Amino acid sequence: MKNLRVISQWLFFLIFIFLFVQTTYRGVDEISYPVRIFLFFDPLIAISTIISSHRIAFYMIFSAITLLFTLFMGRFFCGWVCPFGTLNQWIANLKKSSSLFLSKRQNQLISLKYYLLIFFLASSFFSLPLIGLFDPLSLLIRSFTIVIEPIVSFIFSLIFEILNLLGFRYAFDINQFLKETILPFREPHYIHFLLVGFLFFIILSLNFIEKRFWCKYLCPLGALLGIFARFSIFIRYTGDRCNLCGDCSNVCPSNALILPEKWLKSECFFCGQCQNICPKRDVHFGFVKTKKAFYPSLSRRRFISSALGGFFFSFFIRIDPVKKKKDPFLIRPPGAISEDEFLKRCIKCGECMKVCLTGGLQPLFLEAGIDGIFSPVLVPKIGYCQYYCTLCGQVCPTGAIKKLTIKEKQKIKIGIATIDTTRCIPYLYGVDCIVCEEHCPTEKKAIWFKEEEKVMKNGKKKKVKLPKVDPELCIGCGICEYKCPLLDKPAIIVTNLGETREEENYIPIPSI
Amino acid sequence: MKKRFSRRDFIFKSLGLTGGLLFFSPENLFAKEKSVIFVAKGKDVAKTTRSCIDAIGGISKFISRNDIVVIKPNIAWDRRVEQAANTHPEVVAEMVRLAYQAGAKKVKVFDNTCDDPRRTYKTSGIADAAKKAGAFVSYVNDKKFKKMMIGGKHIKKWKVYTEVIEADKVINIPIAKQHGSAILSMALKNWFGAVGGFRGRLHWGLHHSIAEIAHFFKPTLTVMDATRILINNGPQGGSLKDVKVMDMVIASTDQVAIDAFCAKYLFGIDPYDIPYIKYANELKMGVMEIDKIKIIRAT
Repeated sequence: MKNLRVISQWLFFLIFIFLFVQTTYRGVDEISYPVRIFLFFDPLIAISTIISSHRIAFYMIFSAITLLFTLFMGRFFCGWVCPFGTLNQWIANLKKSSSLFLSKRQNQLISLKYYLLIFFLASSFFSLPLIGLFDPLSLLIRSFTIVIEPIVSFIFSLIFEILNLLGFRYAFDINQFLKETILPFREPHYIHFLLVGFLFFIILSLNFIEKRFWCKYLCPLGALLGIFARFSIFIRYTGDRCNLCGDCSNVCPSNALILPEKWLKSECFFCGQCQNICPKRDVHFGFVKTKKAFYPSLSRRRFISSALGGFFFSFFIRIDPVKKKKDPFLIRPPGAISEDEFLKRCIKCGECMKVCLTGGLQPLFLEAGIDGIFSPVLVPKIGYCQYYCTLCGQVCPTGAIKKLTIKEKQKIKIGIATIDTTRCIPYLYGVDCIVCEEHCPTEKKAIWFKEEEKVMKNGKKKKVKLPKVDPELCIGCGICEYKCPLLDKPAIIVTNLGETREEENYIPIPSI
Repeated sequence: MKKRFSRRDFIFKSLGLTGGLLFFSPENLFAKEKSVIFVAKGKDVAKTTRSCIDAIGGISKFISRNDIVVIKPNIAWDRRVEQAANTHPEVVAEMVRLAYQAGAKKVKVFDNTCDDPRRTYKTSGIADAAKKAGAFVSYVNDKKFKKMMIGGKHIKKWKVYTEVIEADKVINIPIAKQHGSAILSMALKNWFGAVGGFRGRLHWGLHHSIAEIAHFFKPTLTVMDATRILINNGPQGGSLKDVKVMDMVIASTDQVAIDAFCAKYLFGIDPYDIPYIKYANELKMGVMEIDKIKIIRAT
């Protein structure tokens, strides 16, 4: 059983890595297998999305498969499939002793994840879906995108740089080849990488306190599956030879065998360690009727207080002034639905940021409120929205960003560029520039220029091309801001004014 | 052990050689002669290109056996062939085939793009066409730019793509199109795709930049793609209304003359109204006076 499990873990982890690596632009306009496929099988995201957005979508069928499987077989997902669980286990394997640091409080902590689940679902119910922040798959994809992949990319660059210095002629070409196949094409940079990375590494290093700490005590998906696993018919049992030596409970990486005689059905990952270690070879798994099943106890008082906590927290965050007036630089990707709905759906998995062709989609911090943390925002100074690209909508797992055709996308305004005439070079110094006009991608350029005479310091007159923005044509892609030669602070800046998704944020059309 | 000719050696020597050539001003010698422009017309792009090159005296006049050839098209924008923002893929492919026929060892095709290169290489059709013709198509690699002396009054130093410098022969294949700030973007402007750095800054005093950057590069041959030209909303266009079909391929060894010719006959703009052509002429890079340019029609 253990060997099978290891194979399965490797298999799913490699599938995950494969899907992750190919969730990017590799020369085709449509991504056939984005890594969101994993999220489709995640029942927690499905349930939370149903609760918060009151909508059922077709893809949720996949998560029903996971639930049904768990209903009959138990938490196989955690031990055999979940790539984050696998990662946690590999880190846990580095820890030599299996001593339980928290053994004394284990009995209380064991139900912590259930309370967290209740808290998140309750807050989801009141339109505050924080679940994406702590869903293991979403968390893994986000951390891989924002932290791990950039680090790997930089390490490779460094290696090939050193090889080049050592005289290896093809170093850069090989690096380039890797960039075109598995590494990110351009070295990624993400703001708030520290925060995401900190969270990720803290969770991973909790394994040194106790093996698979996250999976045992914190994971809300584990809790959800644990609830369903209570009804499973696939169980672990011991034969007559068992003398309660306790070896099994020493190696158990889950909470299933705190006491060797008491197997907690809802906590077992079916990893098979106990079967492997048993000196009597008397641990079995199978479809057997049990005499008695044990579950972690949930106190009613705590259950209610965590639900109430979620309820109050969802109102608490509405104090935030950004809920009254949006941040002007909150430029959501094209296809994003209106802000309230968007926040209800976005699970902050970071896939849109990963596929973004120019790397312009960045994780937010608190600019859109607590519920907007790590949700995508276009930062044109870092990267713009490519005119012919619709990738972010293709990979979004929950429909927070709609899938658009190229025609539709080219009509959607995500904001409007405005020229800062106090900084723009032609306005300021009478020097021709209009790089913004050159790059403006719309068929009829939204940026145009007007030739005007400027009086220079020495009294001479000079004709200068002054750039202007036509707000009717501008779609807010931000390439002008990205390409503006003023490197410190561009003189043309995009804000979310006039965005299509918010009807009340329209602008007057100056044709009159 | 046999001493190898290192890259550094090569760059220094070729720079020295260029410097020496500059000193002797071979352009002056050429300038006294008439600059010649070869124009071929025809619907079949590849055939037209070939007949244009035949008219100029065949590709082997320019490319020798075992040469490493860089072909520099314009692949700047994420636009399709008919939108006339990039060089026609068939022109590129035909030039690649011709270069191999002349015995070139390796033909490289690349451009430092404005839009994302993955998209522009694909959408323009150039990557596929050139690869099919056997060229080594690569994206520009940031690490392969080196700061070099441009030696102009306006641009003193700039990052230049080393593969262009290291090549034995360089063929410039621009497309003729309208350009907001440069008025027209043709052969001289196309060299912006062979430099790196933050190119937006080259746009302050753009016309000086174009002339001086182009002065740095010494193409063996310039082949202008005027199969269709962009007359409005340049340099990237987008609307087919702005495209004018000309069915012409134009070749010359004089990059200034070819720009002057195209400005005059394709767009109807007097070359004297385009400052960078004037500056290039002042830098003695070529001839801009239309009456001094001999035009030969290939058949």
